[in-house]
Amino acid sequence: MDVTRRAVLERLAATSDAERRETTTPETLAAALDAERRAVEAQLKRLADCELARTYPDGRVRVTITGEELLELDTEGTVVVGEPNAGSEP
Amino acid sequence: MSKRETDRSEETPEEVRYDPDSSRYDVFECPDCDNVVLALGRDDPPMSCHDAPMERVTDVEMSVKPPDVKEVLLDAFGLPKAGLDICLCVIGEGPLSANEVAESLGYDRSTVTRYLNTLVDLGLLQRSELNREQGGVVNAYHSVDLERMRRETLIGFYVWAGEAASLIEEANLTKQDYLEENPDRDLPDVFWESFEK
Repeated sequence: MDVTRRAVLERLAATSDAERRETTTPETLAAALDAERRAVEAQLKRLADCELARTYPDGRVRVTITGEELLELDTEGTVVVGEPNAGSEP
Repeated sequence: MSKRETDRSEETPEEVRYDPDSSRYDVFECPDCDNVVLALGRDDPPMSCHDAPMERVTDVEMSVKPPDVKEVLLDAFGLPKAGLDICLCVIGEGPLSANEVAESLGYDRSTVTRYLNTLVDLGLLQRSELNREQGGVVNAYHSVDLERMRRETLIGFYVWAGEAASLIEEANLTKQDYLEENPDRDLPDVFWESFEK
């Protein structure tokens, strides 16, 4: 099942926290969104490219402060100008 | 003939004439003065001039070239097709990175960034600064309210059309002045000289 990037970001923000560094997993997100895990992971990768999500080597993921602030804008379709390949951490 | 001229002639070969019955727009004129207005949308209450209703224009002889939306956006707003493509991309599903927009549309990332800022200047997009976890900020470009976008583009175009109409009026007056004051000079020289900045 297709899942929109915004839906993934919103669910990610609801189940993780940037300030407290609370994380979740793609599997949890996929189950909550009734979507394929790979589809969710693809959207998470794109969100990380925009610096809206942060992924960790063990697969866990969380929203970033940037992502939380973007959702607070309460706007549809958005382009975020970020640094290429930002958003992942060793 | 340039490519642009060739494209235009191939895409829009016909001419159009104002059709008062089309109800897409209306042109009114004052029977007592030279006031002419363009109206889009409902004429309620009716246009008036000198405290009297204006009359719908029905006897237009001149035909015009039908406008091409890409040409209009370029001429009125300085927005080429690349800018429009990027604007439409932002209005669609997001969020997207500038790199992703550049890849999907086939433009350089610098082109995307440049037009994003142009679109902000035109009032068609909004720019917000979001904090980055590593410090600093990242720019987020997002669509304005669609009703506001409609208003901005329409009024912006009307301003452009008003400037164009003023030039046409000036041209007619220049020709009239010339005929009265310069009977021994060539009209084309005087005419174009008057529009040079």
